[in-house]
Amino acid sequence: MNYQPMKEGLTHLEASSLQQLQQNSEQALAMLMRHYYADLYNYAARFARDEPLIKDCIQEVFISLWQRRETAGSIFSLRYYLLRAVKNKVLKALYYNDRKTGLANFRDDYDFFHEFSIERIIIERQISEEKAEKLKRTLALLTKRQKEVIYLKFYQHLDHGQIAELMSVSRQSVYNLLHEAIQKLRNLWHTEFITR
Amino acid sequence: MKDFRLFDITDFVLDEDFIRWVYEKKEEDEIFWNNWLRQHPGKHLVIAEARRILESLKTAEFAIPDHVVSQEVDRLLQTIRDQHEPAQLTARRRHTWRYAAAAAIAILLTVASVKYISFGGKTGSTRMSYASLTADRRLIENVNTSNTPVHLSLPDGSSIELAPGSRIGYVRNFDSSGSRDVYLSGEAFFDVARIPNRPFRVFANDIVTKVLGTSFSVRSFEADTTIQVIVRTGKVSVSAYNENPDHTPADASGSPDEVILAPNQRLVYEKTAQKFQKVLLENPVMTLSAEADRNMVYDEAPLEKVFSAIAKAYDITIVYDTELLQHCTVTADLRHEPFYRKLDLVCRAIGASYEVIDAQVVIQAGACD
Repeated sequence: MNYQPMKEGLTHLEASSLQQLQQNSEQALAMLMRHYYADLYNYAARFARDEPLIKDCIQEVFISLWQRRETAGSIFSLRYYLLRAVKNKVLKALYYNDRKTGLANFRDDYDFFHEFSIERIIIERQISEEKAEKLKRTLALLTKRQKEVIYLKFYQHLDHGQIAELMSVSRQSVYNLLHEAIQKLRNLWHTEFITR
Repeated sequence: MKDFRLFDITDFVLDEDFIRWVYEKKEEDEIFWNNWLRQHPGKHLVIAEARRILESLKTAEFAIPDHVVSQEVDRLLQTIRDQHEPAQLTARRRHTWRYAAAAAIAILLTVASVKYISFGGKTGSTRMSYASLTADRRLIENVNTSNTPVHLSLPDGSSIELAPGSRIGYVRNFDSSGSRDVYLSGEAFFDVARIPNRPFRVFANDIVTKVLGTSFSVRSFEADTTIQVIVRTGKVSVSAYNENPDHTPADASGSPDEVILAPNQRLVYEKTAQKFQKVLLENPVMTLSAEADRNMVYDEAPLEKVFSAIAKAYDITIVYDTELLQHCTVTADLRHEPFYRKLDLVCRAIGASYEVIDAQVVIQAGACD
């Protein structure tokens, strides 16, 4: 059985939209916004819990994309491009008034609000209260950066290289962050699977 | 082509195809993985465990309603149609200006949203009463039945001013237990002795106030609809009471269910809504010595200097667009004026106005020449 990798460069949809964009198609721009809106909003909401700000930032990202549409052909992964642009916009807006602490600081010290939704697994898997409590505690111990890596990997489906660039860390750090998080969960679940 | 037979649990968890199967439950994936498991029956456990890990990592996502997306798409198309190529530069700049203002407000809203925390996760969670909090604890109790505040000293050197009609209790082994816990029904002012590694905690109905060495007051009458905490010096952290008996600091610190309160701030907890709100006191007091006030005479002083002196003196954040207002100067005598009067005078000098949002002051103004 042959498996198509999930994300490698542009999907068919992205490629054809970018092509139409270069030919000044407003409809292609609208289509891309529709397609990515929820994902971009959810990513942005992890830096700032401020709906108007997030919406403005996403608007600006697509305005920029429109303004540079002639060169849109050079975009290798649209998802990565958009996520990165949204992150930069939101962080810049957030730290606009914080010049004194230095713009450099926010690059690695920004917040990342992330909530896991474990209700489903508790119900579907009939997990004991004790186990659920342990799971909550394990997840609560994950660092901001671990949560961000998890989010980008499992929800935005970026590859490790893209995650590294987006977070301004090395690929090795991305791997380490993921690995540590998974190891914690492996330890948590492992007993469950031997005792059953 | 990947050889899944060589995969361990972590490899599966990190594999895009495996992730897609667990998260998206597409039919073609179901078929593939069920087949694969039939061919490799020894892998059931590994697969189950990897699945469980991915399921644990499910995140809470915001659903964006279609009509909201449509609105945003319309707005985008409107903007790019308005931006005719020749006018592009001006349109762009106008946008940036608007954006600068939006950014200043945005910071506050973001801070605000962190502070307005709801504990509504568990619906119908029981409201804690003094009686239920102290039920199985042997306490030393003090009740103030008089009409005047009563002064009490605790074994650790902390002192308490207990308001009329209030009750306070603490454990018999207060001085030897790991944390210094007191239980309050009513209102009290606390002046807490600083002892590293022995947090001082006040349990007042639904909320817990943890002290980082400071003086503050808590008002929590069971008949009231709110619980309030006011800080005089230092900082305190307030969180909702967690029925989990080992309400350990590790659980509370760093979690978003915790609000840090600074001097001149009042925290209001609405019991029914289970919400925290931070507001500034009506008449903030200086947290620095009176000398800071004596220096507040300004002659053509840069605005930034004036604002930072006020902010420091009262430990209150003043937010404004530093770039926009960089050429503003202030000539004013702010000595002996209360906080809000000081703000009025400065704002008048530069033609600005202010608003208090979530215990911070936001200045709205245009640029100075």
